[in-house]
Amino acid sequence: MRNSVALLAGASALAVSVFAPPAHAQVADAITIYNAQHEGLTKEWAEAFKEDTGIVVTIRNGSDMEFANQIVQEGENSPADVFLTENSPAMALVDGKGLFEPVAADTLAQVPEQFRPSNGHWIGVAARSTVFAYDKTKLSADKLPKSMLDLATPEWKGRWAASPSGADFQAIVGALLQLKGRDTTENWLEGMQANYTAYKGNSIAMKAVNAGEVEGALIYHYYYFGDQAKTGENSNNVGLHYFKGQDPGAFVSISGGGILKSSKHKEQAQAFLEWLTGEGGQRVLRDGTFFEYAVGKGQASNKALVPLAELDAPKVEPSTLNNAQVTDLMTEAGIF
Amino acid sequence: MTSSVSDIAVPLARHRHRLGASSWTFLIAVVVALLALVPLGFVIWATIATGPEMAYKLIARPRVGALLTNTVLLVSITVPICAVLAVALAFLTERTDMPGRRLWAWLCITPLAVPAFVHSYAWIGLWPGLHGLPAGVAISVTAYFPLLYLPVAAALRLLDPALEDQASSLGLSPLGVFRRVVLPQLRLSLCGGALLVGLHLLAEYGLFAMIRFDTFTTAIVEQFQSTYNGVAAHMLALVLVLCCFALIGFEAILRGRSRYARLGSGVARVAGVVRLGRWRYAVMALPALTAAFALGIPAYTLSRWLIAGGATIWRMDEIGLALLQTLTICVIGGFFTVLAALPIAWLSVRRPVRSSRLVESCYYLASAMPGVVVALALVTVTVRVALPLYQTVATITLAYVIMFLPRALVSLRTSIAQVPVELEQAAASLGRSPARALMATTVRLAAPGAAAGMALTSLGILNELTATQMLAPNGTRTLAMAFWALSSEIDYAGAAPYALLMVVFSLPMTWLLHHQSRKIAGR
Amino acid sequence: MTFLQVRGLRRHFGSVAALDGVDLTVAAGSRTAIVGPSGCGKTTLLRMIAGFDVPDGGSITVDGVLLADEQMQVPAHKRGIGLVAQDGSLFPHLTVSDNIGFGLEKNFAGRDALIDELIDMVGLERSMLSRKPEQLSGGQQQRVALARALARKPRLMLLDEPFSALDTGLRAQTRRAVTEVLAAAGITTILVTHDQAEALAFADQVAVMRGGKFAQVGSPRDIYARPVDAATARFLGEAIVLPAEISDGFAECALGRVAVDGGARSGTAEIMVRPEQIEVLPFHEGAEGVAGIASQIDFCGPSYDVTITTEGPQPFVMRLSLPSRNILGEGDRLRLRVAGKVHVFGG
Repeated sequence: MRNSVALLAGASALAVSVFAPPAHAQVADAITIYNAQHEGLTKEWAEAFKEDTGIVVTIRNGSDMEFANQIVQEGENSPADVFLTENSPAMALVDGKGLFEPVAADTLAQVPEQFRPSNGHWIGVAARSTVFAYDKTKLSADKLPKSMLDLATPEWKGRWAASPSGADFQAIVGALLQLKGRDTTENWLEGMQANYTAYKGNSIAMKAVNAGEVEGALIYHYYYFGDQAKTGENSNNVGLHYFKGQDPGAFVSISGGGILKSSKHKEQAQAFLEWLTGEGGQRVLRDGTFFEYAVGKGQASNKALVPLAELDAPKVEPSTLNNAQVTDLMTEAGIF
Repeated sequence: MTSSVSDIAVPLARHRHRLGASSWTFLIAVVVALLALVPLGFVIWATIATGPEMAYKLIARPRVGALLTNTVLLVSITVPICAVLAVALAFLTERTDMPGRRLWAWLCITPLAVPAFVHSYAWIGLWPGLHGLPAGVAISVTAYFPLLYLPVAAALRLLDPALEDQASSLGLSPLGVFRRVVLPQLRLSLCGGALLVGLHLLAEYGLFAMIRFDTFTTAIVEQFQSTYNGVAAHMLALVLVLCCFALIGFEAILRGRSRYARLGSGVARVAGVVRLGRWRYAVMALPALTAAFALGIPAYTLSRWLIAGGATIWRMDEIGLALLQTLTICVIGGFFTVLAALPIAWLSVRRPVRSSRLVESCYYLASAMPGVVVALALVTVTVRVALPLYQTVATITLAYVIMFLPRALVSLRTSIAQVPVELEQAAASLGRSPARALMATTVRLAAPGAAAGMALTSLGILNELTATQMLAPNGTRTLAMAFWALSSEIDYAGAAPYALLMVVFSLPMTWLLHHQSRKIAGR
Repeated sequence: MTFLQVRGLRRHFGSVAALDGVDLTVAAGSRTAIVGPSGCGKTTLLRMIAGFDVPDGGSITVDGVLLADEQMQVPAHKRGIGLVAQDGSLFPHLTVSDNIGFGLEKNFAGRDALIDELIDMVGLERSMLSRKPEQLSGGQQQRVALARALARKPRLMLLDEPFSALDTGLRAQTRRAVTEVLAAAGITTILVTHDQAEALAFADQVAVMRGGKFAQVGSPRDIYARPVDAATARFLGEAIVLPAEISDGFAECALGRVAVDGGARSGTAEIMVRPEQIEVLPFHEGAEGVAGIASQIDFCGPSYDVTITTEGPQPFVMRLSLPSRNILGEGDRLRLRVAGKVHVFGG
């Protein structure tokens, strides 16, 4: 009997010691991030941030909308201090429920207005551009789609891929909805359902293009550069086509960062966003192997990228991207 | 729900008068059973909360139809192939003079040491474009046929050979003997194994996600990733749970009520082997081919990535932490699962009355729930009702208890049954209270069973991905989670060390599984 | 007329000889019992005749047709030899009716009628046909097993300890029933058993087996009364073996002067007396027989177990069972007289 009690106590102690996060969160200089960004990128940010400030970061990894809905359900009991996303709609959802603490003015000042919502409840920390990644061995420049809308025409039946379950793609549809309205979006999604092949994840879709399974994929730019920086084995046959001309397909999506109202470490959380949008965080984007665009004022992006200014992106208001309507429309179209 | 609670409560009250220890044990067993039924209760609650109109709208749509078609096709093609393969392999390894049959038997079980999603990873490493139903079936067969091979081989080994002699003396050719005498006697183990394979197919996420084959589980995870625990996910979970019930019901019908125990007394003679003559070497093609697919492909892909990745993929700080966290949740999960199984294991051996059988069947039913449903239920319950438990080790431990309790139960029961009840009585007569008498005798002597139960539970936890991902405390990164994150970003080389570690730690436990299946079949 | 001929049958398992040159001749329509202690090779012999095992040497011929030798094997299912095993070996997944009809063609028109006839023949109710084997008693299971084997009208029936799992009372009853059915059907039968009383009661011909060989083959009465050696004698029943001096058809021994069965021999030999040959009477001075002293008396209800030590120059000690109708006390003097002839080993 005594042995069992000791064993029980031992097991519990082990549990507490190895899964330290709850304990961390109680330490004054520690924050918890719900991270929907790429794990590697946020990990690098967290390590550099700790180096600079001594604040410990605990990361929970997941995806944009999962966390957005989770934070809404957790309400004021959320263990998260900071929420980082890849795209804006998830931020808009949380903001819509009034769960964000306004971002400090100094921090907001570090990022140009087009990369943050006008209410200042959250802030852009990075950006990504929509591209059509195509098989260079199959498509020449004249055969590429002029607009993203062309992909819904019968001409493109069975020829392109996407990862519709990801927040990335849903953000693109969200932009389409905002720019062209409901009817156009509905029609486009119907055409897409008839034409496209579903892959799970943008990198996998690009890999399929590279392997000749499909001719092209509607994804974001940095997957290509990330793979090129490594071995290129999943992208050497791939070319990137930027739609430009303020086409919906030229949409630039803003990755957001926000501080939760329920956070008990707001000071450290503010410090993190300030650091992230400043030299410290943006330098990781410039020098690292992640290839997302830097958004800080005067912060350069990686030299390999086509400069943001040349992309001729359409103007989209990030705070009103409506993901719930997007998923409803996609469900109706039979994509989900 | 209420009716089952009152059913249980009545005998409980009666017991209390007579036996102090067993009524307390029963009470604990009932509490554990109620906890185990939380996911099922959650699905019922979610359905009611959604309302019939909304539920109908979410269920009666083409997407659900497509998922149902996928699921039905997957199960109805994979399970029969697994069954035929398992019977053929079991026959060759148990009942013929095929050279090296002990080694082949071992190779038929080893695929279980490779997590299902690692099988998938290995196949797409070799054939990158692989996708859809044919791929799903092929990979599922290689990943899951051992679940059928184990019971069938154990049953074959224990069949009374006198029956087969008898049948051939009645004029049946060897093929006729197999068809009319051997096969019918394998029905129980075939049904049990097939159910297990079917439930795994319904619950698996990683294997199918990686080859772009949509099932209810992948769709629920997708829904979870885009809406957290939204209504659409709940309704998909409802359909998935109904599929599980359909499978369980189907198995019950197939199995029938008959028992195929050996009649008469005495120990059965050890079955003789069939002399294959000049086919002796040719038949090795079957196990060799199976091993090539189920072990060769993972071994080839893994070593290719490990070599390609070189030293840089061994980021020891990250891998070390993941390993430490994985082993810790394995130990904790295993420990508490065995602890939770102890009361009902003891009751089912010492007091096999209707009420304890009812409680026991609750555990089996609960464990048939796919990990994704268990996780969805516990997320919802903790975030809404039991907030202090939200995202804690306690919650994920509960999930493991629910999913893996039968593994511990089976091990414990065999080993408790071997402890004579007289020992408990002797301890009691020497002045120990019933509880302490139990602790001093049966619990101590059942320790080997407990250890085996813990190991088998740990094997399940080690390779669990879906529920772990959804329930793990902040900052947790198990081997399976890390593997999944890396391979999702097509960093296949970086994922290889994690896959290797999972396989290495699973290997000894599959041996245990092999060993135990024979012991249980001998009961 | 010879029906089954076994010649020089040998079978080795590793270095152990399970069968070490067995010869056996069985007449058509007769009943043969093979009896021996466990491990003597009797089951191996039976399995070889049935076709479940392959001989290393020797041959098996049935009705003039060679079934097996070291070169060729007729497979079991083509031999037409019936088998009833120790526990019946009924198929647990089939009903009684399907068990009995197992060896019959599925579409055979008279199938049901034949099954009815068979179950009548073995003395079971027809209402049992729909039951599962587990619902039958051991004796009933054996009868079903017999009916199942009879359904194919076998040329030869092998019974492998079919009664040993049954209770004592049921055993004799089932054995008689089986004997009657087989006799009525005129089927040549071989019974394997370790129970010598069963062997003697059942068979026309008994073969005593020991160490992979037949020690003796003969009619039940003959082998009981004239066993080849002491071991065989003791295996078949209680036996008192003692030294004697033989001359002129009489043996001079501790039990006095008694008639022997083989007249030709003379000189020193071992003789065997069955206890039932010894009459024990109250002692009277001058009466026939030898005197003995009773000791170590155990009262067992109907009988006493008594140690009796003969008086004389070479006292001989034996343990006998005596009816308990006479009161017997420690140290009582008794008179012993041998009835009939005693058997001389090697004579």
